[in-house]
Amino acid sequence: MIDKKLFLDKNKTVIFGIFENPETFLSTVAKIHSKGMDIIDCYSPFPIHGIEKAMGLRRSLLPVGAFMAGLIGFLSAFTLIYYTMEYDWRIIIGNKPTVGISYITILFEGTILFTAFGIVILFFIRNKMLHGKNPSELIDLRQTDDRMIVAIASDNPALNKQELTEMLFKGGAVEVKERTNIDYEEFTEENLTLISPSNSSNESKFLNNNSNINEIEKHD
Amino acid sequence: MIHDSILRPKLITGEKTLHDVTTEICRPIENKPSTSWKVGFTLAFAFLGVLGLTLTITLAYGIGTWGLNKTVQWGWDITNFVFWVGIGHAGTLISAILLLFRQKWRMSINRSAEAMTIFAVICAAIFPLFHMGRLWVGMYWVLPLPNAFGSLWGNFHSPLLWDVFAITTYFSVSLVFWYLGMIPDIATVRDRATTAGRKFWYNFFSMGWTGSVRTWNRYEVVSLILAGISTPLVLSVHTIVSMDFATSLVPGWHTTIFPPYFVAGAIFSGFGMVLTLLIVVRKVMNYQDYITIGHLEAMCKVVMLTGTMVGLAYITEFFVAAYSGVVYEQYAFVNRATGPYWWAYWSMMTCNLVAPQVFWFKWARTTPWFIFMLSIVVNVGMWFERFVIIVTSLHREYLPSGWVMYSPTIIEIGIFMGTFGLFFTCFFLFAKFLPVINMSEVKSILKNRE
Repeated sequence: MIDKKLFLDKNKTVIFGIFENPETFLSTVAKIHSKGMDIIDCYSPFPIHGIEKAMGLRRSLLPVGAFMAGLIGFLSAFTLIYYTMEYDWRIIIGNKPTVGISYITILFEGTILFTAFGIVILFFIRNKMLHGKNPSELIDLRQTDDRMIVAIASDNPALNKQELTEMLFKGGAVEVKERTNIDYEEFTEENLTLISPSNSSNESKFLNNNSNINEIEKHD
Repeated sequence: MIHDSILRPKLITGEKTLHDVTTEICRPIENKPSTSWKVGFTLAFAFLGVLGLTLTITLAYGIGTWGLNKTVQWGWDITNFVFWVGIGHAGTLISAILLLFRQKWRMSINRSAEAMTIFAVICAAIFPLFHMGRLWVGMYWVLPLPNAFGSLWGNFHSPLLWDVFAITTYFSVSLVFWYLGMIPDIATVRDRATTAGRKFWYNFFSMGWTGSVRTWNRYEVVSLILAGISTPLVLSVHTIVSMDFATSLVPGWHTTIFPPYFVAGAIFSGFGMVLTLLIVVRKVMNYQDYITIGHLEAMCKVVMLTGTMVGLAYITEFFVAAYSGVVYEQYAFVNRATGPYWWAYWSMMTCNLVAPQVFWFKWARTTPWFIFMLSIVVNVGMWFERFVIIVTSLHREYLPSGWVMYSPTIIEIGIFMGTFGLFFTCFFLFAKFLPVINMSEVKSILKNRE
């Protein structure tokens, strides 16, 4: 349900704040969220703990899916053993009971197998992940390397674009970009416009950070 | 934010930035293979050839090419099977149990340990499969399909079939866990890719990963659930392997200590093999800052603990046999220690119980070359444990007319050596084409201390 926001209307403008420090990123995201802005999504190269709260995400319902999958696994395993060992052809060994303790192992393994595959398949479906699919949102190629990105819908009256940009730069953003949606899936690098910081004090900070990037790139 | 003691050493040394982690871990994937990689891979591949050859001979001439006989029906094949399954225990243990215990040092070793798990289980599977002889016929009763030559189904009351289910489940769940953990890192390689081939394949396997926080949020939930279900799974696998023995009536096997004893042994041998591999990996691939002495020390402690547990089990078995008053049990154990296979028994005792005790000393736990030697000793010791359990128990039947000796043929030795070829071929390919260290997890603990 949360993902409905992701599918933005056409002609909607999104502001991207690009960060290089996870701590300032987290605090800025929390600040923007507390102002009442709509954070569409954040992108980070590693899981940042606490950001789901800062963004106001709800708890995932995947554990429920895992339980259901496990239940199906348990019942399937039971059906398999019961059908083959009791209903179709009973094998009595050493006069031991034919239904009982000897079922436990297969029931256990069946439950685990179905839970694991069920949860992972649900995870892929929920995230719309598929082998060979191109990434839908690559704002910066370094978002899987060392940069964190926050995507904010700019049409909320709580903050105008100018204020939002300033807030991002003050919060430690190294770059701010904006994009007007043409179509969600057809977004390309060319649609992005780089916004430069407005006043001089911010500019110096921005340049500083930029020189850091250059340094890192030289380091390569 | 997390507050750590400043007295504790950092988990990742060398003051890395996020970008350093990416470049250093992607380096082997992006550069041409080094000479040491080529030499190692060629050697491993040659041994893989030996595996192909010996298995072909086995299939062409039958199990008669092995040294098994009517008394010792399980010899090197099942010894090697249990040996490899045991090695396959460390990976999921590290990624699942240590995740639940919030042991952050697991993060730089879990990827390679999980890879090792998967390759080891593949090696293990070869032995029971080929022991069936005409394995294409055996498939009918291993898989739950009606027997093609009658109306019977596989016997679900039998530990052997439980074992098939346990190991298949373990293999598939470990594979899923390993792959899921790798998706973010594959995406990182994708976004750095410069060649068309790399762009295509890493894009294919990254499944459109963008690093979205929504995805990360769910990813963490899934990891936790997988860890939660993998934890009992790891413990169940060797428990069920031990039931192959424990539910029989063979003296020396018919004992309730087997499940915990096998699980401890599996963790012991798994960590032994992880140490063997990682000490080489950190040196050759220059990952000393990621796999630090602290990591090695932590693993040594696990080896020492589980080695002592296994040793305790060896002694307990003796006590139980003596206390039970069953002459067959008593004879089985006296025969293990003083019979014709005494050398195997005492090798096992020395390697598994005595040798790991040196890890009480800090020097021993923090000197890589020494740990490497000890890890080989652990591997050898755990192989002997399985050999002792299987062969010494079988070679003396209830009736002295069934008493025989067992020694492997060149084919059996070839298959065993060949599985090392398979294992290392897989591992070399893994080290070349996939990130050996979990980048995304390591990035999240750059500032953490132990």
